[in-house]
Amino acid sequence: MDNLYIAATATSPEVDFRFDQHQLLLRGESYPENAAAFYAPVIEQLRQYLAESTGAVITVDVVLTYFNSSSTKMLFSVFDALDEAAQSGSRVLMNWYRDEEDETIAEFGEELKADFHAIEFTDRPVSHQGQ
Amino acid sequence: MSQLLEQDRAFFELAQRRNVLFYHKGYFSHNIVAAMGEVVKLQLEIAGVSGPTRRKLFSSFVELSQNIVHYSSDSLQPDNVGGGSIREGAVCITTDGERHLMMCVNPVATHDVEGLRNKLEPLRSMSVEEIKQAYKVSLRADTPEESKGAGLGFLTMARDASAPLEFAFHPRADEPGTTLFCLKAII
Repeated sequence: MDNLYIAATATSPEVDFRFDQHQLLLRGESYPENAAAFYAPVIEQLRQYLAESTGAVITVDVVLTYFNSSSTKMLFSVFDALDEAAQSGSRVLMNWYRDEEDETIAEFGEELKADFHAIEFTDRPVSHQGQ
Repeated sequence: MSQLLEQDRAFFELAQRRNVLFYHKGYFSHNIVAAMGEVVKLQLEIAGVSGPTRRKLFSSFVELSQNIVHYSSDSLQPDNVGGGSIREGAVCITTDGERHLMMCVNPVATHDVEGLRNKLEPLRSMSVEEIKQAYKVSLRADTPEESKGAGLGFLTMARDASAPLEFAFHPRADEPGTTLFCLKAII
């Protein structure tokens, strides 16, 4: 299937899903006007890719510096899809990049680890990431 | 001429005395919130606010402003007209010593007041740990039907605040169907 690329805007993240290389990236800030409308097609294509690629080793880089409450909920669905894939034969290696001072994003990472055991989660604190 | 200048000076002096970092009263759309977000980030950085506090203030600013875009009862156009929502309200950020105050005011339908009160009142008596726990539960729960987001906005603000959220309702004397909703977060 075709790769998925959505350029970042001031309020929505860059989505760079290179399905042919099993490399997925989310990067930027996320507070779109309608988080469900932004993420629904992303999740749909992700699920389709995951269903077609059982057994793959998938790397997911998450470099989000801010997400609002409605994006948080949608991100949970993204990770839920990845966890299901990891339970049914794929390997999902997730790099969770965050500013080392950012407690909120660190805690959300902890939530993900607690809920999604099949994802191989690596916390990657970065010093002075952005402002 | 000189009298006008005197009035203007008083206005700016008051804003300075109250340490106003940001104030907007008027219409809020998604694009306006995005543009204001840039201003708020810059102002907080210039004011020397620490990174973690800046992030919490910015987070509360986005939640409050998006609440106005989604829920203020004063809409510039009917919702079914093309384009996003544009609704009326006010947001103000001030500093008071080490604390930062984030306030917002917007009109709501008087019949929605009880619902808002029922969501906000319980948060006031919850500990930080209880708020985090409620946040975790809501994150995994189905989104409430009446919500245009995730139903997590007030919990997110309560989590970022360093004191219980304060709120008040002021019914409008000239318009009984409308109530002014005021919300204040201390960060």
